[in-house]
Amino acid sequence: MTTRSIFPEEMRCVVLMGIDYDGTSHEVGRGIAPLGKNSCGRYSARDGVPRLLDMLDRHEVPATFFIPGYDAEHHPESVAEIDRRGHEVAAHGYLHEAWPLESAEEEVLLKRTDRILREVTGKPVLGWRSPSGRKSDTTLGVLKSMGYIYDSSEKDFDLPYRARFGKGADDTIIELPNNAYSLDDFPFYKFSYTPPSEVLAQWKGEFDSIYCSEGFVVLSVHPRSAWGSGTPSHTKVMSDFIAYAKSHDGVKFFDSRTFAKWCLDHSDKLEELSYV
Amino acid sequence: MVPGPQRQTRRVELRMKSYPWPDGARAVIFLSVNFDAETLDLKETTPDRMYGRFGYGRYGVRAGFPRLVALLEKHSIPATFFVAASDARRHPDLIRTLVDKGHEIGARGIDLEDFSKLGDAEPKILKESRDILADVCGKAPVGFRAPDGNMSVNTLRYLAELGYEYDASFLDSDFPYCMEPVPGKTIIEVPATYALDDGPIYSARHTHARVMTVFRDEIYAMREAGTLIPLTLHLRGDFGSTRGARIAALDELFTQVKSHGDTHFMNGAAIAAHARSLGLTPEPDPAAAHLATLAKTVYRGDLAVKPK
Repeated sequence: MTTRSIFPEEMRCVVLMGIDYDGTSHEVGRGIAPLGKNSCGRYSARDGVPRLLDMLDRHEVPATFFIPGYDAEHHPESVAEIDRRGHEVAAHGYLHEAWPLESAEEEVLLKRTDRILREVTGKPVLGWRSPSGRKSDTTLGVLKSMGYIYDSSEKDFDLPYRARFGKGADDTIIELPNNAYSLDDFPFYKFSYTPPSEVLAQWKGEFDSIYCSEGFVVLSVHPRSAWGSGTPSHTKVMSDFIAYAKSHDGVKFFDSRTFAKWCLDHSDKLEELSYV
Repeated sequence: MVPGPQRQTRRVELRMKSYPWPDGARAVIFLSVNFDAETLDLKETTPDRMYGRFGYGRYGVRAGFPRLVALLEKHSIPATFFVAASDARRHPDLIRTLVDKGHEIGARGIDLEDFSKLGDAEPKILKESRDILADVCGKAPVGFRAPDGNMSVNTLRYLAELGYEYDASFLDSDFPYCMEPVPGKTIIEVPATYALDDGPIYSARHTHARVMTVFRDEIYAMREAGTLIPLTLHLRGDFGSTRGARIAALDELFTQVKSHGDTHFMNGAAIAAHARSLGLTPEPDPAAAHLATLAKTVYRGDLAVKPK
């Protein structure tokens, strides 16, 4: 096992930013009306996504929005705007299913969300991130059959890798693991109520460590209010983090699909992890 | 649900919005206090057991109240106190003191009920709590904040029917907005945020210095963005802000905020009246688009993710 960088010098540190849309699907999927204290998801389309898009424009960096199909049905104009502003639209469950699904039901929902997102953007969807980090041993096969080239749900490595889900030559998919524990917004804003300025220091610390080693930074945030990053102070933290990352030599920002294509083109540099 | 030709014409709404605050204010702070005295402790215990750990509500009315009132007076801050009717009945003198000092009293149920579970009793409780506050204050409340933020799909409609001007229970917007739960009767939403609420942060056992860091980070960024700045405090002695050291920390914070000069304080009624004067187009009911899905969705409760 290597933990050294696999990237060329001019992109010695790759930064991927995944923005999990998490609108009202997050509550409605659990049988809760988006009212009162359960209305944070309404903030995504209303204020969070517009603010994050403007911030990303200022930095001229791309991001990937992982979007539950239900949210795209309710806010197609918001999803179309994300695509129009040059960011990637990727899948994130239908009703943000944060519980185990039977394989048959999971396949139906994966295909439904895929269709909804494609209809809004007119483009193929190439990647998926599981809502709340849950998936099954059949998920990757379904994703691959729909033409997806990557999954970004695993938490088990510091670098991209090939995930093998079958014995066939093509039964692999690019895995872009994320860190939903210390390079994410909700652990700090939802659980520990850490001050935003301390969250920035935390993320910078994560960046420093990764920059000096594997060079693969995956930041995960949410546009919703309360524990998301679409509010003024939390967007500022993300903006300051981006500025900090950009101030380092050899830092390249990609959306996940573009980077996954690089991984496909440099497949020999990746480790393979087999689930079969 | 696929975007049609209207996509282009709606583009302006996809950009960040701004809001015309009155009197040249850059941003407006809505300071609200959830009174939540003994009524909250009585949700955990019975009247004959209101001792020891169930005395934090009593701390608020005995020790905290005068400190908070003096702090608001020192900084000339008009606040809105959301008061459960039981607390108002228990402490009518305190409520009248607030009214005399120019603060607004808003409604919060009778016994801090869970409004998502009241069923047919909901309109009766809303009306009775309003009548009790009207009796104690000499005038009926115009604002409502749901206890613990729990609402039913009917709450906004009942509020509109009872003549409430605004609700302050949602966490979903940078600015006040308008809804029309009953044809011809609008409700202004004056939303809050958990990021500027002492309750959850002190409940996580942070120091007052750290809570002030959160408040400062939030308030400065919101001022920069020109949004509503909804600062929510509690009167209580546990997760509230009325301990001496916490009041001193707020004193320093308010001094700094006031020194900006461009960040004004308004109570909920004034913010709602100003929003109403703007002639905002009413937004669709927040639950209507989800009712069909909710009807066939199993209740799974709050996301069971807790740090280990």
